[in-house]
Amino acid sequence: MKLQTPILRKSVWTSILLVLFAALIIEVSSLFQYFYAVKGLKSEASLRAEGELENTRIQISDVLDQAEAALRNNMWIARWCLDHPDSLEAVTRRIIEDNPVVVGSTVALVPGYYKRRPLMAPYSYRNLDTGEILTKTLATPEYDYPSHEWFTKALFRERGYWSEPYVDEGGGEMLMTTFSMPVRDDSGKTAAILTVDVSLDWLTSMFGDVKVYPSAFSVMASSSGRIMVCPVQSFVMKKTIQDIIDSLEDKATFDTLSRDMLSGKSGSRLVRYKGKKEYVYFAPVERTGWSMSIVIPEDEIYSDIRKLGWRVRLLQILGLCMLFFIIRFVARNQLKYNNLTEKKNLMENELKIASGIQMSMIPSSDASFPERHDIDMAAVLVPAREVGGDLYDYFIREGKLFFCIGDVSGKGVPASLVMAVTRSLFRTVSSHEDSPGRIVEIINNSMSEMNRNSMFVTFFCGILDLATGQLRYCNAGHNVPVFMSDTKHMLDVVPNLPLGIVSDMSFQEQETMLYEDDAIFLYTDGLTEAENANHELFGEKRMLSVLSTRRDAKSQIEAMEKNVTDFVGQAPQSDDLTMLFIHYLNNDLPRSNVPHIVLRNEIGQISRLAGFVEEVAEKNGINPGTASAINLALEEIVTNVIMYAYPKGTEGFAEIKVRTRDDAIDFEVSDSGKPFDPTAMPEVDITLGAEDRKIGGLGIHLARKIMDAISYERKNDKNILTLTKMLNNHGNQNQQN
Amino acid sequence: MEIKINKTEEGKVVEFIGRLDTPAALEANETLAPLFEDASGTTILDCGKMTYISSSGLRIFLTLRKSALQKGGKVIVRAINDDIRSVFLMTGFLNLFEIQ
Repeated sequence: MKLQTPILRKSVWTSILLVLFAALIIEVSSLFQYFYAVKGLKSEASLRAEGELENTRIQISDVLDQAEAALRNNMWIARWCLDHPDSLEAVTRRIIEDNPVVVGSTVALVPGYYKRRPLMAPYSYRNLDTGEILTKTLATPEYDYPSHEWFTKALFRERGYWSEPYVDEGGGEMLMTTFSMPVRDDSGKTAAILTVDVSLDWLTSMFGDVKVYPSAFSVMASSSGRIMVCPVQSFVMKKTIQDIIDSLEDKATFDTLSRDMLSGKSGSRLVRYKGKKEYVYFAPVERTGWSMSIVIPEDEIYSDIRKLGWRVRLLQILGLCMLFFIIRFVARNQLKYNNLTEKKNLMENELKIASGIQMSMIPSSDASFPERHDIDMAAVLVPAREVGGDLYDYFIREGKLFFCIGDVSGKGVPASLVMAVTRSLFRTVSSHEDSPGRIVEIINNSMSEMNRNSMFVTFFCGILDLATGQLRYCNAGHNVPVFMSDTKHMLDVVPNLPLGIVSDMSFQEQETMLYEDDAIFLYTDGLTEAENANHELFGEKRMLSVLSTRRDAKSQIEAMEKNVTDFVGQAPQSDDLTMLFIHYLNNDLPRSNVPHIVLRNEIGQISRLAGFVEEVAEKNGINPGTASAINLALEEIVTNVIMYAYPKGTEGFAEIKVRTRDDAIDFEVSDSGKPFDPTAMPEVDITLGAEDRKIGGLGIHLARKIMDAISYERKNDKNILTLTKMLNNHGNQNQQN
Repeated sequence: MEIKINKTEEGKVVEFIGRLDTPAALEANETLAPLFEDASGTTILDCGKMTYISSSGLRIFLTLRKSALQKGGKVIVRAINDDIRSVFLMTGFLNLFEIQ
């Protein structure tokens, strides 16, 4: 739980950094894309505007060509008709009739060319409503045609002159332009000016309607800067480009723009108009000096990509959010995994320690009584994992070998815990119980009471009396041991139930005799059920064939271990493997060890003292009277230990060791109870009468009287009382005093 | 240890047979409890067949003796062997009891 928060924080930071990095990459690539898209859109806008301008120019030229051609084609007729002035009117009519683009035509004579008619200008024009061709004269005092630009400018231009566009006041407020050329007579003298009028109304509708972008608009100006086409109708022919520029803030840019436009250049320029950026594309109509321009707001050129830009950005943000969560998820798992690995290492270390502890619970090979001549034993425990559920144990108490082997159901840590409990129970119970059946019963009751996890233990417990070879044993559902004498056969066992299943159950105890060189081989199912790669089991048959009579315990175990390892081969060990080999030698060698007896802190144990003392007395040639006195002294001391040394309800012991010297015998009585020095007790007054005699204190008094010396020491948390009795011919001298 | 209690003309005769060691004394203490209450008469402790006595056994003798003293009774110890006699000697019991 504790580790959860740093992981979260760590994963969040990692994710944020990664997402920022991804965002940076995406943003940079988006910028590149945007930059190129903008460039593309700009060039597309140019193409479209320039295309429109070119298209318009071509159409204008086409109309102007037609008009010029109409005039030139009739020049010779006009020249020819100079001699017949009255027919000039017919010439103009004919021009209009033959050429649909021409709406009006005149032949205006140079004043004074005809002596009789100082001014003459017959003018034909088309009534646009009816299509009828009408005729009138321009030679009126109000109009005064010789003063008009179309007349004066054309006089000196051999190739003709296109007039400034103008609004025809006479015929329906049309925007017109006039092409005029001088007409020479045969002598080469300029006699008249021939004109054709062209309506430019179509231009307004055609060019004015050009909409390359929704808000784009077109402007056309004449060579003098007068507005010809413009979205604001009221400006047409009334205002000049200069007028418009004067009303703008950014005058300088517009100045150069208008200069370029009016000087017949083409190109484009970015201008600012009412706070907005606009592109102006412009091109001239060379023949007339007009300038066409298309104005496109920059916003519209880029509107698509800007719209797209927002959508793309939105998608990017969504994507980055998703990326963030994905990365965080992955990062968290990764960090958790790292964490788990750490925990795993920790656990493995703990398991190694646990394994060490478990192995220290079973007797090591050094503890298999190499100094003894009556027994030869060896054991091995190989857990399948670090810790296992197999156990064995053995120890010698009072000339009897207590041993057990067991197998906890399951494997690993849970089994190992139950194993530890079972082994402790065995040690505790067998330290005072001498019956295998009883030992198994007590262990079973304890295990059943605390067995909440329904684990059970198969268990075999035996007690071998090393002096006699009597073997008493009790089996609790364990694998049947092998009995080896001259032959090998399975020991006769009552199966019984394993431990930990039902409490208060009685276990049947059995008995047999071991003679010199007999042996017992105990094992767990890890041996018989060892499996090789082909799923074959090692089995009892193989096991029995490996066991050979008349061999020492260590080599029996080693041979079995080698055989089973070879059999299993590369297959993994499936279960814990435990083996215990007990070889009974019964060599009746003199006991080198000190005679001793251990008494539990139960008052009934006192009865065992008499036999022990008798034995010691017999060996040392002590007479029965003295032996009885020694018995009494020891009884008094041991009774004290049993009654008072240990707190009520706890278990304890009193041990008596006998040391014989040349002229004396020492009895060392030791216990692990609370410190108590009997030698420090005051003497009782034995001279007092019955009324005054106290009940207690007689025991120690007796011991003092019987023994020749008593010394006390407290050593290694033990009370050690040494009672010495001198041995001589007058051994019972003291007790007579 | 076996204890027999007989009422005779002399009084109550308690016969101890075997070893009066500590465990035996604990049992005997219960067996002889009624005697402690009724100690006004003569109580004869017959030790002819007693082979061993510990301080716990001596305690029973002493308790009985004290009880008799209070109630005006009399306790006689009969037929102790040499081993027990030496224990009586060591503990001053020879002076406390009338020994026959």
